[in-house]
Amino acid sequence: MILGVCLGRPPSPVTVAVRDGVPVPAPRAARGARAVCVAVDLDGAPLAPVAAIRVGGPCPEVLKPLVGWPEGSGVAAIVRGGHSLTGRPLAPLDTEAVRRFAEGCGLSDFAVTATGSPVLADHELAVASIVAEAVPGARITLSYEFGGRGLREREHDAILSAALGPHAGRVADEVAGRWPGVPAYFARSGSGLVSAHYFRRYPLACRAGATAARDRGTAAGLAGDAAAAFGATAGGPEAQVERIVRALGRAELDRALRDAEDEVLTRVVSAGAAPGSARVVETTVNPLSYLPDGLYRVRVTAEGATP
Amino acid sequence: MTSPGTTGSGAAGRIGAAELAAYVAGSRLFATGAAESAFSLAADWAGSVIGDGVEVVAAGDLPQDVRCVAVSLVGSTTALGELLPSGDEPARAVRALEGRLGGRAGAVVALNLAAENALIPLVAAAALGVPLVDGDGTGRVFPLVEQTTFALGGVPATPLALAGASGEVVVIDTAADRVEELLRPVVLSVGGWAVTACYPMCAGVLARVLVPGTVSRLLRAGAPGTARAVAAPYGVRTLCRGRILAVEGSTGHGAELALPSLPSSIVVRESGGLGRLVRLEAHNEIVLALADGAAVAMAPDQICMIAADGGTVVDVDKAAPGMEVEIMVVRAAPVWHTGPGLALGGPRAFGLPL
Repeated sequence: MILGVCLGRPPSPVTVAVRDGVPVPAPRAARGARAVCVAVDLDGAPLAPVAAIRVGGPCPEVLKPLVGWPEGSGVAAIVRGGHSLTGRPLAPLDTEAVRRFAEGCGLSDFAVTATGSPVLADHELAVASIVAEAVPGARITLSYEFGGRGLREREHDAILSAALGPHAGRVADEVAGRWPGVPAYFARSGSGLVSAHYFRRYPLACRAGATAARDRGTAAGLAGDAAAAFGATAGGPEAQVERIVRALGRAELDRALRDAEDEVLTRVVSAGAAPGSARVVETTVNPLSYLPDGLYRVRVTAEGATP
Repeated sequence: MTSPGTTGSGAAGRIGAAELAAYVAGSRLFATGAAESAFSLAADWAGSVIGDGVEVVAAGDLPQDVRCVAVSLVGSTTALGELLPSGDEPARAVRALEGRLGGRAGAVVALNLAAENALIPLVAAAALGVPLVDGDGTGRVFPLVEQTTFALGGVPATPLALAGASGEVVVIDTAADRVEELLRPVVLSVGGWAVTACYPMCAGVLARVLVPGTVSRLLRAGAPGTARAVAAPYGVRTLCRGRILAVEGSTGHGAELALPSLPSSIVVRESGGLGRLVRLEAHNEIVLALADGAAVAMAPDQICMIAADGGTVVDVDKAAPGMEVEIMVVRAAPVWHTGPGLALGGPRAFGLPL
């Protein structure tokens, strides 16, 4: 039996017991539940102030990090470094500037976005290790974990995910306290689930989890919060990796694809899939326009089953 | 079909903060290659520098001897979305060209008006304090800097200046047929995109060789509630609606071509109607559409996929199986359908021996 939970409006969550994909009368408490699948929306959740570090060059004021965010959203710095889409270093990473900012910002939720990180994440990883050393207990979100589009969108996602981190931690704590010992999963926006561990680390993946779960539950004939609770159980762990890769020729592209697939399989296991169940379900490869031979945007999705 | 605009018809107006939204919306109605990130950053960038607005003038209303320069993004919009501008690229490119030629530029004209390429000339005009000419050098977008009505009118692209995001400035002066060959490795080495200032010419010549009136047309077409077709001065038709079945690599038809990026092939199954299988051959832009094997549209007319949900143009490199699209064909300016126009922008220019 799996327990579906909708954490909607307080005071109490709505739960639905599900066996073999069908809602069943709830047994006393949750004894015997194999897993608890949580549907929760994070829009409107309290946002923690974020220390945003961008690695790149100077830019017009309007394009700087945190511009347009409400007052109190955090503080930002741009430090030298980053890579071009061909992987060429634009400048050495200004490690001293990173350290100074990390030590002086007074915050512990960090979002790091380096120019070119979909191609090469080295500078984001280097910033993370400097921050971790300078700020004990820092929670660090790296933008390369978020796919897609351009630097500003990826940075926005990283900052928002970092800002949701403390609230997501409290939600995950609450679920763990209410159903002790039962593995917890959270519904993603879109489709699928992620583990509580993954939810704490990348809460943005579940930003519209209850909305997505409610759509699935409604399609199955339920209504309201019960639909969301049921919908949360209708899916397995899912993860995505998006990268820009440079590959000359088919063999190199195949190797780059295998690397991306290995990475997404690791990630879907980290998102709670039983290792034997993890499999790649979709791979898309698009050559980038107006760039020379061999630059591709690669998107890989993997799914798995809960253990 | 009304006339697409005239030269010397009086002041065309001004793009200020109030008009910018319509201009931005108009610039993407038929724009391919408009990666969302680069486009939104170009729009934000333009909004932050537009100040009191940029004057839009017909080329024929400028004094004949005023020097005009074409300004455009070259390279990859994906690269622009990743490697952000430092902000002075448009001005730096124009100043470099002025330095090469001596004397100041008195007006800026767009090479084309597709998405970012409509906005970066506006940023340049605002930064330099000069008017933007009401018109452009293609009437649509082509992949190569030399594929313009300016070139068809006998105006060379060179000398050409490039400004990159890390402060680079490169001036290229060469024979017209070697521009792309020299430009492309430079663009790549400065990070995949640059702003170019090129086709220096006096207003009297510009008035003869540009596709006129296209800036004010975008301002009209981008107003809320206006039909998309308003943005197509020479007419537009819907080829089919359908679902993308496959996106495939293409051999490039065996041709030795020096076009940026790799060719690809998109297969669409028409929904309803005859249920035809439509194959789109793309090489940065969609060059040819075949329906059940018969050619139904080709360059120099512009073929684009419009997403059924949302109505935005689908980039060739974002096309994915399962997407519902409407395939539209925008007729190119008449000069593209002349012998020299077809040679420069027709299917053979893309390696299709048709």
